[in-house]
Amino acid sequence: MKKLITGVAIVFGLILPSTSSFAAPPDDTFVVGLPTDTIGLEPAQISSRHTANILKHMFGTLFFISESGTLDPNLAESYSVSDDGKEYTFTLREGLTCHDGEPLTAEDAAYTFNRVVDPDLAFVGNSAGFVFPSIDFKEARADSELEVTIVMGAPNHIALGLISEVYVHCKDSYEKMSKEEAAENPIGSGAYEFVKWDKGNQIVMKKFPGSAVPANFENLIWRVIPEASTRTAELIANNVDMITNASPDQVDAIDASSTAKVQKVSGTRRMYVGFHQGEEYAVTEGGAAIQKSEVRRAIQYAVDVEAICANLLNAPCKRATGIVNPNNAHPTLEPYPYKPEVAEYLLDQAGYPRDGNGVRFEITLEAGQGRYLNDKNVVLAICQYLDDVGIKTTCDIMDWSSVYVPKIRKKEAGPMFFLGSGGGTWNPLYDMTDLATVESGPNYTKWTNKEWFKGWKVINNSMDPYVIRREIDRMLEVFYNEGPWLLLYFQPDFYGVSNRVKWQERRDEEVDIFDASLAN
Amino acid sequence: MNTLEIKNEKSNNFKYIKNFFLSLFKNKWAFGSLIWLLIIVNVAIFASKIVPHDPNRNNIIERVAPPLTTDKDGNIKYLIGSDALGRDAFSRLIYGAQVSLTVGFAAVFIGGLIGISLGVYAGFYGRWIDDIVMRLADIQLAFPFILLAILFLVVLGEGLVNLILVLGIGQWVTYARIARAQTIAQKQKEYVEAAKALGVSDFSIMFQSILPNIFAPLIVIASFNVASVILAEAALSFLGLGVPPQVPTWGSMLAESRDHIFARRWWLPFFPGMAILLTVLAFNIIGDWLRDYLDPRLKEVE
Amino acid sequence: MLVYILRRLPQTLLVIFGVTLVTFIALQIGGDPTYLFVSERASPEEIIATRIKLGFDRPLYIQYFSYLKNLLFFDFGDSLYFRQPAMKVIFETLPATIELTVFSMLIAVFGSIPFGIYAAINRGKWLDGTLMAIAMLGQSIPNFWLGIMCILYISLNISWLPISGHVPFLMPIFQGDFIQGIKNFPTTVTYLLLPSFAVAFYSLSRNARLVRSSMLEVLSQDYVRTARAKGLTEYTVVMRHAMRNAWLPVVTIIGLEFGFMLSGVVVVEVIFAWPGLGRTVFDAIAHRDIPLVQASVVVISLFVIIINLITDLIYAKLDPRIKL
Repeated sequence: MKKLITGVAIVFGLILPSTSSFAAPPDDTFVVGLPTDTIGLEPAQISSRHTANILKHMFGTLFFISESGTLDPNLAESYSVSDDGKEYTFTLREGLTCHDGEPLTAEDAAYTFNRVVDPDLAFVGNSAGFVFPSIDFKEARADSELEVTIVMGAPNHIALGLISEVYVHCKDSYEKMSKEEAAENPIGSGAYEFVKWDKGNQIVMKKFPGSAVPANFENLIWRVIPEASTRTAELIANNVDMITNASPDQVDAIDASSTAKVQKVSGTRRMYVGFHQGEEYAVTEGGAAIQKSEVRRAIQYAVDVEAICANLLNAPCKRATGIVNPNNAHPTLEPYPYKPEVAEYLLDQAGYPRDGNGVRFEITLEAGQGRYLNDKNVVLAICQYLDDVGIKTTCDIMDWSSVYVPKIRKKEAGPMFFLGSGGGTWNPLYDMTDLATVESGPNYTKWTNKEWFKGWKVINNSMDPYVIRREIDRMLEVFYNEGPWLLLYFQPDFYGVSNRVKWQERRDEEVDIFDASLAN
Repeated sequence: MNTLEIKNEKSNNFKYIKNFFLSLFKNKWAFGSLIWLLIIVNVAIFASKIVPHDPNRNNIIERVAPPLTTDKDGNIKYLIGSDALGRDAFSRLIYGAQVSLTVGFAAVFIGGLIGISLGVYAGFYGRWIDDIVMRLADIQLAFPFILLAILFLVVLGEGLVNLILVLGIGQWVTYARIARAQTIAQKQKEYVEAAKALGVSDFSIMFQSILPNIFAPLIVIASFNVASVILAEAALSFLGLGVPPQVPTWGSMLAESRDHIFARRWWLPFFPGMAILLTVLAFNIIGDWLRDYLDPRLKEVE
Repeated sequence: MLVYILRRLPQTLLVIFGVTLVTFIALQIGGDPTYLFVSERASPEEIIATRIKLGFDRPLYIQYFSYLKNLLFFDFGDSLYFRQPAMKVIFETLPATIELTVFSMLIAVFGSIPFGIYAAINRGKWLDGTLMAIAMLGQSIPNFWLGIMCILYISLNISWLPISGHVPFLMPIFQGDFIQGIKNFPTTVTYLLLPSFAVAFYSLSRNARLVRSSMLEVLSQDYVRTARAKGLTEYTVVMRHAMRNAWLPVVTIIGLEFGFMLSGVVVVEVIFAWPGLGRTVFDAIAHRDIPLVQASVVVISLFVIIINLITDLIYAKLDPRIKL
């Protein structure tokens, strides 16, 4: 026994000195703490903002879209549009290379775009599922060494922004790889080069010397830490420099620590409760009720959105007035105030008085959990508010990815459902594109209001910004009065940042580490 | 039996019970545990009568209030504080007792029913029935309990019933093995031979003669299993697979309090944590005591 | 010995078969997994195409039999979520879980022995009472709670103890890079300390009580009294004679232990950001990643079965009363 103890003591004695302190990362390294791992490193297969942020540092896009909508050159330095508005020609910079040394030319850019819709590869993801259908992509072709043209089926005001969501890579390297290999061995074109991916643990990147885009830190590490308290602990210990999705309840603790702080930003993701307008729901009492715009308007008054923001999200907010982010929203519409007595009055007027049990009608509110900030509690609070005005609400909170998402995709969630939709600040049309047509993927409420949808024709056929804006405002008024959304808030984002570094957050959930630097 | 024998039997029973309680009283830990369990069970039964507030009514403006928060008139509104949605923690703790204990007892009942039945059958008949049951047991054991639980709950959805089913099915093997071993031992005894000779049905022999004799170690197992079911429910709640969000259980209250530890809202994890700790401890202590009392030789039963 | 192993083989195969069947059926009951692999804004045609591509339109029994066929070649199919061979994903995360489980078992087994022995030797005194109180406590604390408390109150306050994460030791070794593996070993151990403790504490407590009671029984045996009467020191008595027999119950438990411990491993891997198989499996089930779940379950089951076999053999070897 004594020998055993001595032995153990010796081993520990050997271990301790050789393990240096686990404090802050070295000066040339920036560490990010993420709640989940990425699904793969295939640029054509991105289905979340999360993965996009990681890949953004490894792959270049044609242009960068800043938050205000200005275009900054990335791989391309200039562009031109054809007369019919259907062809965008980009001129790439000279001397670009991919990380394996292959020169990046227009041929590669064209290859990237065409690969996205390659039927053999059958990608599903943001590019294939949203960007390309939205611009009605026809083909991409290289017109010269440095000029690549994207051909669309119809003119589109936000084409530049959408096209800039596509990550560009080289042809030779990706042609040689199978789809599975590509997902593990990204060969990028951006500021950082892929070093390794320890699944479930971390993704490591190193600065690429010949990149078109400058970056400060030599090494970039994305660490996966699923448990929120653990992530916060690592931040406070300064083992990680930045954590995304800091929990609202931990904000004060982080700020109180002397080693890190929280950078709170009002995000651009529109949070709403959808009112399903499809016939399948009209058969239930509640479902039929919310198909009347008077009832929907009444409900807007029943929910105290500002209390939800202040208490559950730790981020006082101004309620949304519509589908568009505040900087581009309707200039004069005021958010619906919290006036439950008005809600009750309007519901009486709409033909739904309280019965003997105090119930006007019953309805179900469906939601997934774990996807959005404090979503479970927000939904429970909303159900309570509805209960209080006599709408007996069954709060059905289910697993996000395996149960709720399929329902949403099939447009079967309802009659009320809680959801968020990513938005932008650079153009109101981007936000409104969720409801570009009745058949649009994101039109989960199956809304068919003619007054809204006819506005798109006007917008798409005009090049006069004044006319476009006027039409946008008209449509937004329709949305305010009769829209299929219970207007809530724009999801705030909480980034915990260690005092060791300086980093600027963005409102649109995009994360840029390029310009981050040491704090001193 | 004549009157004298009946009287003796009655007084024997009485002595038996008296000894039981005397022994219990002497061991202060076991006695204390029993008292605690009695309190908890009563709280669970009379929950609806003693809760001060609706446990599911949220009030986000008054969220995470510390214990002994008073309302405008100076009366105590939140005895042990309110949770992240402003729901009264004390009311939830009380209802939590109801749910946690129901889950615990029901799961043990189901597991016990399945396990004891299978074990007795296997032990009694032997041969292929024994083989099948033991193979099933092996398959069950090859499945780490939590994977089984996760699988079930993700597929069938959350819900109290599903949770109880999963937790129940997860433990049948513990009863089965003991029941089987004990049945095999009892099978050799004379009273079984006698009953068979008298033409008593197999079923009768198994469940009316053998079962009462092997009940002792099974009760011990049951006590330990209630403890582990309560802990398992907590773990599943942590992983997000426990009861639906509105249903209060100690495990889910503890799981929900994770985010608040950093904010120094100690009351959120403390009370449900202590409730779990004390109750699980109590069941473990009682299990221990029962085992020592019933037969000191049953030490290897665990 | 060989005969014994061969006799166990059919049983093993049966168990594995049962396990894969159960997972397959269970996961299919839940519904259509197609929706996880398209972006938020994809079109209905996209979804149908994906469903066909991933094979979910085929009848269930065809899906299962083609799966079984592949199983024989260790082809578990592609993980739907990771879009890579499931076996590959498992191999990447398995070493970390092996490290954690083995280390935890070492703690649970070897830690419990001194624990239990000291308690037994000092029976009735305050040391015994304290140790047993700790053991009781250990069996009554939810292990995720223990993990979080460890992080908050221990690792945050001791700078050389890492909070979460992992430095690979087994993985480089499996890949042939022994030097890197050995170099990493000390660091890996420091990362292992707290998570293994969280996993092992429950088992450690239970084993300690087992060792204690077993030790008490042994200490009252005749041959021990003989040894004492012969004038041997208490130390020799305990170490040489009593301990070997006190060991046995612990060994029997190890096999079962492994299975139970895996339950704790999943939870602890999430809290400590330990990139192991437990976490992978949990995520996989949430995403309805059937190939990955099935592959993991088969692998884990194989492990448990092998460990059980080994412990049975060890037990048989140690206890001469048992015939193989």
